[in-house]
Amino acid sequence: MTEHVKETIYRVAEDVLEKLAFLFSFREDERDHMDYATAMAASVSFGGEFEGSLIMAVSEDVLPELAANMLGIEEQTTPAEQQDALKELINVVCGNLLPEIAGKKNLFNVNPPTIIPRDDAILAESGPRPVAMAKLALEEGQCDIILFVQDGVSLEDLSSESR
Amino acid sequence: MSLNILIVDDSGVMRAMIAKSLRMTGLDIQQMHQAGNGAEGLDMLERHPVDLVIVDINMPVMNGEEMIDRMREREDFNQIPILVISTEGSDTRKNALTGRGIAFIHKPFSPEKIRDTMNSILGRT
Repeated sequence: MTEHVKETIYRVAEDVLEKLAFLFSFREDERDHMDYATAMAASVSFGGEFEGSLIMAVSEDVLPELAANMLGIEEQTTPAEQQDALKELINVVCGNLLPEIAGKKNLFNVNPPTIIPRDDAILAESGPRPVAMAKLALEEGQCDIILFVQDGVSLEDLSSESR
Repeated sequence: MSLNILIVDDSGVMRAMIAKSLRMTGLDIQQMHQAGNGAEGLDMLERHPVDLVIVDINMPVMNGEEMIDRMREREDFNQIPILVISTEGSDTRKNALTGRGIAFIHKPFSPEKIRDTMNSILGRT
């Protein structure tokens, strides 16, 4: 995994979680990946300078607060609102992450996010190889963000070009 | 002057966030119409005259760029100010929009950014 890409995922995810969902997060780089059986996960695929996908898994216990914060309401949120909130969150993370990795002159097409099945196959979800993973602690749970890219792409080269 | 605004975004959560931010701007807003994609947005414009359109870029069915193109082709829509609120990070796409006189705000945004941009669009700075 490239350290620069991982650091970029952390920075973008922390910023988006704080600004969009008013959630503070802390890095937990040393822990194992979270228990995906108790999480909701969303995936977004993209094409352009390189192809791949981004997955964001969030503990179930975090979702009510996350959705309520984004909607600006105090009432109980519905499962549909929680899914919509997670999809928008990963959409914004992905949209901010790709130009940070590949440079702002490169064009990417980001497809609509989807909710992926709740099981432990998340790490094998996308076909392409996982190249970087960020593991965050939130007040009510955890959040994992995993970047997959097609084989043959050197993110080290793209990272150095974008800097 | 009371404003009628159309918000076009495929995420209901994002439409709610934009609507809440607009209410915080202090602008006199009469009605906020909402649509989930460009096609629904154009349909809404046929039925409800608006003073400003806020639109996302990446949406299913019809994306924001196509909706903007269709609006610009129509005499009755081509003078309506447009604000794009998107995750789009490419300078190429952003410059193409701003070069056509379209305002752009990057997600995530703050209510202050919405307020300042709205004031600029409406000539209230």
